[in-house]
Amino acid sequence: MKVDFQTVILKLQEFWSQKGCVILQPYDAEVGAGTFHPATILKALGPKPWRAAYVQPSRRPGDGRYGENPNRLYRHHQYQVLLKPSPDDIQDVYLDSLKYIGLDPILHDVRFVEDDWESPTLGAAGLGWEVWAGGQEVTQFTYFQQVGGFPCEPVSVELTYGLERLIMILQGIENVYDLAWNHPAGPSPMTYGDVAQQMEREFSTFSFEHLDAPMVFRHFEDAESMCTQLITSKLVLPAYEYCLKASHLFNLLDARGALSVTERANYIGRVRALAHACCTLWMENACG
Amino acid sequence: MLVAEWLFEILSEEIPSRMQPMAQEQLRGLAETEFQEQGLEFETIRTFVTPRRLTLVVEGLPLKTVERVEEKKGPRVDAPAQAIEGFLKTAGVSREACDILDTPKGQFLSVAIKQPGQLTESILSKTALSLLEKFRWPKSMRWRSSSITWVRPLRGLLCLFDGKVVSFSYAGIEASNSTQGHRFLAPTPFEVQNFKDYEKKLHDHFVILDWQERRQIIKAGVSKVAGELTPLKDESLLDEVTGLVEWPVALKGKVDKHFMNLPLEVITTPMRVHQRYFPLMNREGKLAPYFGVVANVEAPDQGKAIIIGNERVLRARLADAQFFWEQDQKHPLERFNLSLKTRLFHQHLGSVFTKVERLVTLCMRMAEKAGTDPRIMARAALLSKADLASQMVNEFPELQGIMGRYYAQNQKENAEVAQALEEQYWPKTSGGKTPDALPSLILAMADRLDTLVGFFAIGIAPTGSKDPFALRRAGLGLIALALNPSFSLSMLETLGWSYDCYPWDELAVPQLKDREETLADLWKFLLERFKFFLRDVQESPYDHVEAVLSVADQNPNLFDLSLRVKALDQLMDGEDGKNLLVAYKRASNILKIEEDKDKCTYEGQVNKELFDLDEESEFFKSLSQKLPEIEGFVKKGDFVKAVQDLATLRPVVDRFFDKVVVNTEDKNKRVNRLHLLAYFRKTLHQLADFSKIES
Repeated sequence: MKVDFQTVILKLQEFWSQKGCVILQPYDAEVGAGTFHPATILKALGPKPWRAAYVQPSRRPGDGRYGENPNRLYRHHQYQVLLKPSPDDIQDVYLDSLKYIGLDPILHDVRFVEDDWESPTLGAAGLGWEVWAGGQEVTQFTYFQQVGGFPCEPVSVELTYGLERLIMILQGIENVYDLAWNHPAGPSPMTYGDVAQQMEREFSTFSFEHLDAPMVFRHFEDAESMCTQLITSKLVLPAYEYCLKASHLFNLLDARGALSVTERANYIGRVRALAHACCTLWMENACG
Repeated sequence: MLVAEWLFEILSEEIPSRMQPMAQEQLRGLAETEFQEQGLEFETIRTFVTPRRLTLVVEGLPLKTVERVEEKKGPRVDAPAQAIEGFLKTAGVSREACDILDTPKGQFLSVAIKQPGQLTESILSKTALSLLEKFRWPKSMRWRSSSITWVRPLRGLLCLFDGKVVSFSYAGIEASNSTQGHRFLAPTPFEVQNFKDYEKKLHDHFVILDWQERRQIIKAGVSKVAGELTPLKDESLLDEVTGLVEWPVALKGKVDKHFMNLPLEVITTPMRVHQRYFPLMNREGKLAPYFGVVANVEAPDQGKAIIIGNERVLRARLADAQFFWEQDQKHPLERFNLSLKTRLFHQHLGSVFTKVERLVTLCMRMAEKAGTDPRIMARAALLSKADLASQMVNEFPELQGIMGRYYAQNQKENAEVAQALEEQYWPKTSGGKTPDALPSLILAMADRLDTLVGFFAIGIAPTGSKDPFALRRAGLGLIALALNPSFSLSMLETLGWSYDCYPWDELAVPQLKDREETLADLWKFLLERFKFFLRDVQESPYDHVEAVLSVADQNPNLFDLSLRVKALDQLMDGEDGKNLLVAYKRASNILKIEEDKDKCTYEGQVNKELFDLDEESEFFKSLSQKLPEIEGFVKKGDFVKAVQDLATLRPVVDRFFDKVVVNTEDKNKRVNRLHLLAYFRKTLHQLADFSKIES
């Protein structure tokens, strides 16, 4: 029997729990990637040790395809692990996690292919690889060197599993909507399509056709202004949440094609300034 | 003397493929320098690299070094007491133990310091550390809590001299006699005795140590799985794949037939660039629906799952490409120009669309000059950047120009227009092919002229290593294009046209350079690029380039100049040229000495009446005949003939120097002979300043 979507998540939770991670829930606001969760980006700063793992639904409005493309999604799921400091045997541990969910590295020719990671909006950069299984990128493996413009001391290692891609390989299927979400022989079998296709359709329609750009521009201004005020009040976590909101609103405007190239660079700069301010406050408060 | 072998392996997490070949070179270079500095002799140094290891093996090192005596020179004997004391203190000797060194500059203190012989093993532990510290990766990183950097985290150090462990530690790792083989196929660490044992055991543990050998295995392997098909020749892909595997196993995958209607480049770009697959061609030279892929493992299912996986990834990528191909062609190509209005060319130089507008004007003007249809040029220029806004080029930037051509062909544009859209980006590399078709050539030039003129006008020129807008590359490309014989143009004039195409009043640039200054700066820059081109692409010797440019640097016809340098290369290649140069140097040395002595220049008329010897009149007769001829050939640009003519001077000049004494007693005859030499110098300068040529 091939492993289903939720069982892989449960196994990863179990695996990383055994490695000493706190198992967290997804961040309850819209984010573009698991990296944006404060448990990664803020916790990677500062000297205190930290190990966390969680699923993060990640919204990429530009990748929305109305639920019709077998590989691209408005919202996909990442399994995110952050370990600080980076353990010496982390590559082996990571490969063990693949075996634990049933992916044999020999059978699928697992490879570490150079891919340096950089997030201009977060002022963050790291070195590492994309991990390939049978030519498919299934994980981004990064040693954080810098976040919010600050050097990471000690260095954290971040593992971001692309759950849909990984489990499509495990189930040997071509279309994401055919993924078995729970046990196919159980009392109420559900596919990925049953669970998520309506959302894909509606959110693609919303962001490409119904998004009220002038309103979203206003929301961006508001989020930016709120973030700035909260920074003045030294409330780092609420401030950071508004930075995330600004970032998501930017993604919506970008996907709608509402930004010219120059404006786009300008908006990225504004989000980066917010993120930098949050990280600076975090460091001043010696939170990490 | 007894000698032994040093084996040093640096094991790390996966090293980026592109960095591996130079890492191997650097390690060898660093090791050689270290040994030289330590005075340690050796027979051979070899280095190896795989995705996980960088290895050094040195053969023929002595077991211990011999005692050395180093002479250390101190201050003068009459130096202030403080200086002398300081010297004695650092040298650790008394005043009495010093020798006195007699030199032309006076007497100095000196002391012989004995460097006792050392065990090589103890030197090597320091050498190993020094290699690790001095090594520079293009990009390196920290890990854990350490401040040490390497390309990726270090995981092991194997260090053996004469079969025994050389102990030291670095980044928290103790050097040992143990290493690891293939990550998956043989993960258990093992011990080694020496290099031979190491290489063999690595092979037993599924690692091919030698980069060249792995490359060969991949090449042969892909050809073998290709069967009757032929892998598309791609050396850089082969290099890259060699750095991705320790145990290469070639496999063959299929491409779904219905994708085969897509253009060749649209299929092969995701294959090569994103997936590192080898496209396979059939006997007719057409793309076959198969690809070669190189795995890093021998899988128990003979690679079935690996093939299925790779085919699935390619299918998804090609499905995207198919989608873009269809979406992009829902509207005519010029519709994309709308999006170019919001795409910035440069903050002070407007949008990409305004660049397109300038290109239209410039191309039409160049077309008139070249005698080609300005309407075709206007159309090509108008569509030139449209594909940059297409979805396909957004996803695969390397397809710029190529997509423009396909989309233009499909909407039935003029064939020359479509061709120009692709070829405007040629030459793609230094020394790469330049377009032959006139419209392509003009568009390619206009694009670079516009970029260079714009940036130079707003004061952005390359400085040192900084060249964010790749202007050096644009300059070199322009030079290569200007050397195409099918369109020779006055570079200075064309630069001026390009300057005039910019709507400077509207752009309101804060510190705009005027036309004259921009053109002067740019011309100087282009001449430098031209010299670089002649040396590095045409491969003419440096001195030949200097010799020609110093007599002709105001000649704006670069094509002529390059031919002239080539002709000089040809002349200097033969005996005639070499002898002519000897004669020239002799003549110009004599002239220089006499001119310095007499404080004048000898450039007057030669008087035939004053000749004594046949060799003099013969020399003069040849020169009087050849100078106008050579002048004529140079003007016509027939440098080969000019050079042949020059070569015929050789016997007469040789006879002249054999028989004639220039500095004769008779004052008038002496001056006349110096005038004759100056006449000879002038004749040679028609082609080049021979004084710049090194003998």
